[in-house]
Amino acid sequence: MFFSHKPVRTADFEGAAMPHLNDIYRTAARVLGNDAAANDVVQDVFLQAWKSFDQFEMGTNCRAWLFKILFHTLNHYRRKWLNIRMVKESEEILEHCTANDPPLPEHITDEEMLSALATVPEDFRSVVLLVDVEEFSYKDAAGILNVPIGTVMSRVSRGRRLLREKLAGMAQSYGIGRTQEGKSA
Amino acid sequence: MNRIQFGEGACEKTRKYIDSYISNELLIETNHDVLRHIETCPSCSAEVEARTQLRNRLRSAVKSQAVPPELQVQIRERLAKPRSHSWMAASWTRGAMAAAATILVCAGVWSTWSREKLPAITDRPAQNTYIQKISASMAAVLKVGLGDHIHCAVFRKYPKTPPTVDVMEEKLGPEYKGLLPVLRASVPEGYRIVMAHQCTYNERKFVHFTMEKNGTLLSLVIARKQPGDSLEGLSASGDPAGIPIFQSSAAKYEVAGFDAGNFLAYVVSDLKSSTNLQVAENLAPGVHHFLMNTPV
Repeated sequence: MFFSHKPVRTADFEGAAMPHLNDIYRTAARVLGNDAAANDVVQDVFLQAWKSFDQFEMGTNCRAWLFKILFHTLNHYRRKWLNIRMVKESEEILEHCTANDPPLPEHITDEEMLSALATVPEDFRSVVLLVDVEEFSYKDAAGILNVPIGTVMSRVSRGRRLLREKLAGMAQSYGIGRTQEGKSA
Repeated sequence: MNRIQFGEGACEKTRKYIDSYISNELLIETNHDVLRHIETCPSCSAEVEARTQLRNRLRSAVKSQAVPPELQVQIRERLAKPRSHSWMAASWTRGAMAAAATILVCAGVWSTWSREKLPAITDRPAQNTYIQKISASMAAVLKVGLGDHIHCAVFRKYPKTPPTVDVMEEKLGPEYKGLLPVLRASVPEGYRIVMAHQCTYNERKFVHFTMEKNGTLLSLVIARKQPGDSLEGLSASGDPAGIPIFQSSAAKYEVAGFDAGNFLAYVVSDLKSSTNLQVAENLAPGVHHFLMNTPV
């Protein structure tokens, strides 16, 4: 029987990987924008993680390792099912960002925040989710996404600003809350 | 990341580094330069505040998203499918053994905590001053859990040997000893229970569990509700299985609270915000179920 010759690894996997299920799911759902697809992807992530668990060194960062598998699985999922071309959005977006800090609506509901996040291009959204929501360091985020640390730095800044612009735009269009005036030095 | 020299055009230079500043990714010297500038520049200070607020609101919104309760079961079923041995049975056996082992293992030295100059457990006025000072900005309903955690877990001098299961069960009493297996099933790996008892702090009764790992303290604090106690009006940080969890921080402590009928339950620790919330989300379903079936 499979588990009979490696019970310790089963126990290790249960203790090291399963506590991160909620974070993995929420990130997958925000990146994909689809709860059902996120459910499938997360199941694949944990199955893949279990199959590769012999390569995982106990005591190292299991959470970062699972997120790395998540983004690898997301890329595979997109190519296989969604036929989405990975565009180099960073350079294109850089040119469209405004120079001034847009005003931030004072009162934002969770739904409004998530709607705005969904409109941020995916490569920026992914970095913002890893750094701002999951509190990974730039170095860890770079390892998870397999990009240089400088790319993480620029995408965090641009992603935050894009999110803020979306929220400001939504506030203007739909009258969300009140806005505080953006100030510049 | 290189150090930047602030002087002429300080606002412009500061704006360039605000994102790395709030991500805590700057070199310590540059961090000090940014800090020094924003202390004297209301405009840059407001910008730091705005970006920090945006990050916190985003984190709260994403964490409020419910995770399908059946997902964990589906994953375990998929992992077990090609095998004939039960994944869940194996993990349960392992969980029970690990929990038993953690309880019986001798205590280490509380070096981190003993170095801090904190009031003695008998010095209630000094404790209250300390707790009030660090939790000024926290909602009153969350201070309840923080206060008991600091009173019992932080100020206390622990014996080198944790209490046995029998002793813990005796101190919890027949109505709450059933929480021990609930806790063991959801406590993060490597943590051992070093205290489990009923206690009184600020004229309020509590059921209190404290766990420790490498000097990090983690408490589950349960309080009977008093008139006016309500988490309503706070923004939920998580919602596992339909149980909204409300988290806030004070100094180095994270407090995650949830409602359970006649009780309020809190997970308090000096872990990272996301880790503390994760622990609370893991504990909430079992603890909530237990308390909803506990008479007051």
